[in-house]
Amino acid sequence: MEMTSSDVWVMAHAAQISLALALCSIAFGTILAVLLTPLAFARLAIARFAYRLYVFVVRGTPVLLLALLTFYALASYWGRISPYAAGVVVLTIYLSALFAEIFRGGVLAIPNPLWDSSKSLGLSRRSIFWRVVTPLVARYSLPPYLNVCVMAVKASSVLSIISVWELTFASREIIERTLDVYRVLAVASVFYFIMCFAIDRVGRWMEGRLAAKGFAGEPA
Amino acid sequence: MGQYRAWVEAYGVAFLEAAGWTLAVAVASFICALIWGALLFFARLRGGIWTDRIVDGYVQLLRNIPVLLPIYLIYFGFPLAGLLWPAAICGGIALVLQNGAYISEIFRGAYKAIDRVQPDAARSLGLLPWMAFRKVTLPQILVHSIPALGNQAVLLLKDTSLLSAITVVELTMQAKVLTERTGAAYAPFVVAAIFYLAMVSVIELLARTAHRSVRWK
Amino acid sequence: MIEIRGIRKSYGGVEVLRGINLTISSGEILALIGRSGCGKTTLLRCINFLEEYDAGEIMLDGELLWYRQQANGPRQRASEKELARQRQRMGVVFQQYNLFPHMTALENVCLGPRFGQKVRAEEAERRGRELLSRVGLSERLDAFPAQLSGGQQQRVAIARALAMKPQVLLLDEITSALDPELVAEVEDVIRDLTTENIAMVLVTHAMSFAREIAHRIAFVSDGQIAEIGRPEEILDRPRDPGLKEFLRRIR
Repeated sequence: MEMTSSDVWVMAHAAQISLALALCSIAFGTILAVLLTPLAFARLAIARFAYRLYVFVVRGTPVLLLALLTFYALASYWGRISPYAAGVVVLTIYLSALFAEIFRGGVLAIPNPLWDSSKSLGLSRRSIFWRVVTPLVARYSLPPYLNVCVMAVKASSVLSIISVWELTFASREIIERTLDVYRVLAVASVFYFIMCFAIDRVGRWMEGRLAAKGFAGEPA
Repeated sequence: MGQYRAWVEAYGVAFLEAAGWTLAVAVASFICALIWGALLFFARLRGGIWTDRIVDGYVQLLRNIPVLLPIYLIYFGFPLAGLLWPAAICGGIALVLQNGAYISEIFRGAYKAIDRVQPDAARSLGLLPWMAFRKVTLPQILVHSIPALGNQAVLLLKDTSLLSAITVVELTMQAKVLTERTGAAYAPFVVAAIFYLAMVSVIELLARTAHRSVRWK
Repeated sequence: MIEIRGIRKSYGGVEVLRGINLTISSGEILALIGRSGCGKTTLLRCINFLEEYDAGEIMLDGELLWYRQQANGPRQRASEKELARQRQRMGVVFQQYNLFPHMTALENVCLGPRFGQKVRAEEAERRGRELLSRVGLSERLDAFPAQLSGGQQQRVAIARALAMKPQVLLLDEITSALDPELVAEVEDVIRDLTTENIAMVLVTHAMSFAREIAHRIAFVSDGQIAEIGRPEEILDRPRDPGLKEFLRRIR
């Protein structure tokens, strides 16, 4: 049996869900990461250890396992929960670890003389943070950040296994119904490719804009 | 305490077996992916512009789609083509196709990182091109690739968990089965996670040791 | 014994070498000077065929290098084997990053003879030790480049080039990237080599050194040899206006 054009529309709709899941998780994950990164530089050794442990566990465990764990854990506390909610929670946690490491790298990449010169200019700590650290970290983090955004789109496909209806789930449904394996997967690939490619392009555009504003290139 | 003891005795073996499968698939796939990635890299190096474009297209495609798609492609597609191979092999092939693409990029990055004077110096010594490559370029590519390859090995290990979607009884699948069977909420998943973390740590340790043992940096 | 005739080379529409003619005798030491971008490094790379040139001929002892004699029709590039053999008659030392970082000093020096000239391992090693001792590094045979100073690395590079028993040495600004205190040790090695019957072409900015050891100095400007002569003539009594300006600037 062959897939039909209505199947393609269904997949397009599912692709939108994948994208929505990814974008939500990126947003929440970024916020969480911004809260986490300072822990990496905290004065309290316990805080730094907690950060490293969090990153180690989240990055060392497969996303699918995290998803199953979260789904069953949340279900055991709150009974029926929406797979979508669980999905967003998992992706948020997953992305937060990746983003936090990127931001941490960005902070470390700030050349040492800049810390000294901002202090010697007598800038307040708050001022240094907003006017020196944040713009530079943002600039340094942009390429790997976008890379992780692409990973977010790809990770959303894993949620299909905890019954989240998105593009990969829809594709499998259609394959099991029509056995039109190659065509369905080709269409799914096109959708994913467009989404990932678009993120990449947006990123290049943003990098171009930042460069035009006079930021230096890659840090030394 | 006794409850945990009973639990371990009942299911410990199952977990170890599943962990064995995870490792087996991961190791076999990684080795094949290294070979496949090396072939792709050489094809780009030595082939003409069309080979370069085709390989690049393949790499770009695989980098922008989720791993589940190639897995489904092989798992559902092979039987259609008359190849009734075990799910683990199908999954392994998909992992090789995917990771091979990334590994070829790793080799390519390492190659580009060698400064231009090296091949010039080798040529100026009157070495034949392939000999210059073998003695000068290749050793450096291999050493520079170690950190990224270690990273890729970790990613591949984690991706084996997706094979649970095609009925392979590896760690994730085992944890899921046990959770449903025993109603133990989520404990089996935690155990599986510990297994994964242990394996990841070993891989990272190996990569770090390998990189550090190179005396000439 | 090296004849360079009519060498032309363009890069993307810009003509970098516009007809270079040069004759270098056996054992002669020639210094190439000129502003950045004048083409002196490109010329050096063309002599060793690290760059292909668009027109012209290079002959060593009467043998046409890098291309095959064609009765009629366009010139044809020589085979890889011939190119390798011809390159072995010249030694090149680059400005930096010469050495292979994954090999010890001795291994670097032995690489050419062993794998390019098919010399046996013991013989290659003997030659290598001798040369490293000559450049003053007999203590550092087993050191990796990362463990050597810039000056030591350049000296190993010179030994490595000499290991091929070349007729010509091509030296591309070999002291420009060195810290000042390391320059002398490299210049000492070159000075020591002037007693051998090896021709040398040095691209350099070090005018006093050039004056001291070169038989002739050629001023390259805009892809051509604007003036050539003995060091005293070139440096003290320049005639070409470009050369006068160049000398004025670097004084």
